[in-house]
Amino acid sequence: MPRRRVAITGIGMVTPVGLNAPNTWSSLLAGRSGVGSIQTFDARGFSTRIGAEVKDFNAESMIADRRLLKFASRPVQFALAAAEEALTDAGIRPEPASSSRWGLSVGAGMIGVAYGELESVHEFCAPKGEFDADGLLDDGYPADPVAFCRSQTNAGLGLLTRHFGINGYATSVHTACASGGQALGTALKVLRRGHVDFMLAGGYDSMLNPIGLSGFCLLGALSTDNDTPERASRPFDVTRNGFVLGEGAGFLVLEDWEMARMRGARIYAELAGDGNSLSSYRITDSHPSGDGPIQAMQQAMSDAGLAFEDVDYVNAHGTSTVMNDRSECAALRAVMHSHLQHLAVSSTKSCMGHLIAAAGAVEAGVCALAIRDGIAPLNANLIQPDPECDLNIVRGQSRPVRIRAALSNSLGFGGSNSCLAFRHPEAVAVGSEP
Amino acid sequence: MRIVFTGLGAVCGAGLTTESIWDAVRTGRSAIGPLTRWGAPRCPVRHAAEVVGVGAHTLVEDKKLHKFLSRTDLFGLYAAKAAIVQSGLLAYREKLDTPTAKRFNDRTGIFVGSGGGNYSSNYDFFPLMTQAGGNLQTFGRELDSSVNPMWLLTHLPNNVLCYIGIRHGFKGTNACITNQCVGGMLALAEGAAAIGAGEAERAVAAGHDAPIEPETVLHYHRLGLLAEEEVLRPFDLGRAGTVFGEGAAAVVLETAEGAEARQAPILGEYLGTGCVSEGTGIVEVRPDGDGVKRAIELALVDAGIAREQVGLIVAHGNGNRASDASEAVAIRRIFGERPPPVTAFKWAFGHLIAGSGILDVVMALTALRKQVAPGIPTLRSLDPALAPLPVSPTAQPLSGNIAVVLSRGFGGMNTALVVRAAAEAVQ
Repeated sequence: MPRRRVAITGIGMVTPVGLNAPNTWSSLLAGRSGVGSIQTFDARGFSTRIGAEVKDFNAESMIADRRLLKFASRPVQFALAAAEEALTDAGIRPEPASSSRWGLSVGAGMIGVAYGELESVHEFCAPKGEFDADGLLDDGYPADPVAFCRSQTNAGLGLLTRHFGINGYATSVHTACASGGQALGTALKVLRRGHVDFMLAGGYDSMLNPIGLSGFCLLGALSTDNDTPERASRPFDVTRNGFVLGEGAGFLVLEDWEMARMRGARIYAELAGDGNSLSSYRITDSHPSGDGPIQAMQQAMSDAGLAFEDVDYVNAHGTSTVMNDRSECAALRAVMHSHLQHLAVSSTKSCMGHLIAAAGAVEAGVCALAIRDGIAPLNANLIQPDPECDLNIVRGQSRPVRIRAALSNSLGFGGSNSCLAFRHPEAVAVGSEP
Repeated sequence: MRIVFTGLGAVCGAGLTTESIWDAVRTGRSAIGPLTRWGAPRCPVRHAAEVVGVGAHTLVEDKKLHKFLSRTDLFGLYAAKAAIVQSGLLAYREKLDTPTAKRFNDRTGIFVGSGGGNYSSNYDFFPLMTQAGGNLQTFGRELDSSVNPMWLLTHLPNNVLCYIGIRHGFKGTNACITNQCVGGMLALAEGAAAIGAGEAERAVAAGHDAPIEPETVLHYHRLGLLAEEEVLRPFDLGRAGTVFGEGAAAVVLETAEGAEARQAPILGEYLGTGCVSEGTGIVEVRPDGDGVKRAIELALVDAGIAREQVGLIVAHGNGNRASDASEAVAIRRIFGERPPPVTAFKWAFGHLIAGSGILDVVMALTALRKQVAPGIPTLRSLDPALAPLPVSPTAQPLSGNIAVVLSRGFGGMNTALVVRAAAEAVQ
């Protein structure tokens, strides 16, 4: 049986540079930054006081079900809005007769408990710092079953399947910064297995709260350029000094290629391949040689039936940390050989920061839009390229390129590496059989 | 392609090896007992199936790792190592030349079902919150002097995946599944699917969790999900909720061809999985068993077997009124008035949440090997509304060499997995 092909037919985004996919895309093309001083809580005492926040987000404008939204944390609200946009964009959604042929695959963030709820536990159980569980039984303790449901690791999955009526395969993954990429890779595999005909797939996250920001500040992973927030995220620049924490969600509608064609759907691109490896080196970095990301990129191309010369654009993980960017460059050098200078590379984290578990999903949408429009989005803030990052980076302004195939890298804490391969829909039509 | 199990590992309140856990199950010993790791005098639930008297060094011998790992990670790494050791993968790799060993590592997948974030990890911030007195500026300024700089890394949900790789050198396709109770089961299913699709030649799959925390216990209790009695009675008329356990289970999966070529022990065969969502929201289950039914149907199709070939059903059997009832309905809807013998294991080691499904698979494989369905000794009288359901307080003979294992979870999740006894066990 020939392997199924998978079409991307819908895109939805909630990001620091736009509350939907078209606005996000135009911001990225123009190089508009979403980074600024953190507004959602008082971060003035932290070593990093900047972040890429989603601004003016109003879930009710996208999702009418108020009761459902009560059960949704901030990142799950992003997810519901982005998923709604993706389904509307695709022009198809689960119906009672098709619900079991729809699946869901999400990359979900690691923080479930809102800071306000932690403050309640602190007040009742640990006013002096030492935890005493019996405080949870105090009459005044605001035990809230809705808040507990909101904090469950698969709460987003439960709400998305319920709201959109998805009754097929459903899964939620977390491999830190690789989560979004792995969620889409899983969706591709589930479609190929034939267990469903449609997948809603994406990622959502927000670590822009006191605990999430603390976690990264303690590791010294964030840029501390608090006075020049728009310049803080500068992947591949020799002066880069850490990433910028962002938040948001990205969702795609994926469907069987032939069924999409038959219903006359607009196809952005083919999700053609998935590569997935473990660095097994250190928890925070892959090997300076690129070992780990190398295997992920090779697998993605091989899975998609692509030769390295076919790739015209790479959306790099490009976090703007010294080690990531160097290791990723080494990996690109190893897999692209002489083609390295002929393909356009950019990290859109330069504008929208690092969306952690949502990053790979949003960036997959970016690749699909780049293929549709024939334009490689800008790597902003690259003034002095790191000589160790000898790539053909999209500098100054976004670059028109006919993109036959694109790759998107997502490399996570914990060593998981995801690479997704995308192909131009016409490149599929002329038949480059994998 | 045939996919077989060549290594099994487990740790839970009932034991530190699959054999000792099996012995506890077969002899009717439950590990549920008083809570020892924390106390709340006013808490109506004061029992669970804890892993008691086992130090961190027993679970993970490398002390340098301990400060980077949480309790649930120790369980996951322990079970994974036990499965890997039993499979003989490492001894086999040692004999390979360097390029072949590199390819071996790149072609070994790792799939982990993780409970994800827990509540107590955030408690590391309480001294700082006290010091800050509600002032976030002070919180930010004093952060470095109060909280372990490695805090975030110690609590990554994907730590077990990361450290299985670092400790054992495997580097293949991988996933960390944070889908609450069905995480471990889906890890196994995804590992098998990766082998089936040729993305890996073998895979380690693990599921781990440590849910016995004050906030989790209290909220589950308030939602009516936990038994106040110190016993879990699946399918019983008087069932009153579940009881938490903790621990992990792991398996090594590989192609039958690969296992035979390296003369590995074959402990059973993987046949198929079904996974569906009921779309009910976060906690609710459908009373008509729709999700369980569809998961079993898909799993049987995926396995390529008829329902008559099923010789054992290992139910999720968590002791909740609604969950057990809907499971019984689904079993009846598929298997009619004469289903194969049904058993469940959570009465013995509690509900391990993300570790539960895969531990049940490990026990199911053992049951197939021993050719017996262990009884449910806490069962006093079957809820007549669930009859006919062939559950028994005592052991039952199997009616075939194939088992269906069910795992269900929050988010309306339902999974079914089909395994067969190794050929030599059923001659």
